[in-house]
Amino acid sequence: MLVPLQVLWAQVPQRYANANSLVAIIPIAIAALPIYYFRKGSPQVDLHVAVFLVIGSVVGAYAGARLLRRIPERELKIAVALVLGVVGIKELLLP
Amino acid sequence: MSWSDVLLILGGLGAGFLSGTIGIGGGLLFVPTMTIGFGLSQAVAQGTSLVAIIPTAIVGGVTHLRQGNVLLGPALWMGGGGVVGAVIGALVAVEVPGPILARFWGAFLVFSAYRLGLQAFKASPKTA
Repeated sequence: MLVPLQVLWAQVPQRYANANSLVAIIPIAIAALPIYYFRKGSPQVDLHVAVFLVIGSVVGAYAGARLLRRIPERELKIAVALVLGVVGIKELLLP
Repeated sequence: MSWSDVLLILGGLGAGFLSGTIGIGGGLLFVPTMTIGFGLSQAVAQGTSLVAIIPTAIVGGVTHLRQGNVLLGPALWMGGGGVVGAVIGALVAVEVPGPILARFWGAFLVFSAYRLGLQAFKASPKTA
């Protein structure tokens, strides 16, 4: 949500919007975790899955963040539009 | 370590990479990876995704800071606003049926994708 809002309404260049969004997610996720954890009553986290997912995702996030500067603005915009479009259609059809 | 653990690492690698380049929270990609790919329930996938997002965003965010990709002021304002939004959202989400919420979210994403696509194909030198 943070990426399209910055680019479409605040005219932030795509590269900065993508990076800003990832930084802003850190406090949001930290705040959301206990709310989600406690409201549901029992913890709904699969720690085994989380550990293996994180092993891959931190490496991927590091590589992706290093690569960002080399991707032209236009291609970056198309990639964001594609991912948002696919996930959006999935949510509309299979909510 | 089983094959499914290897697939989880690969799924995380792909989701993390897109997170680092595209900047979307892992949730957008982690949740479908776990529900469609590994058959986890939506509730467990969302809870697990929130746990996985934190180290992923920290590593990606710090790397972005070092690379000079971040406008720190707006990022901190969005983070602060997002914390308030997350608390309100968590309270509202309980009252609104999940499928309705998902359809609003989906419509927002499709509309944003359409507008970003238009911008990309009409890209002027100013935005390049």
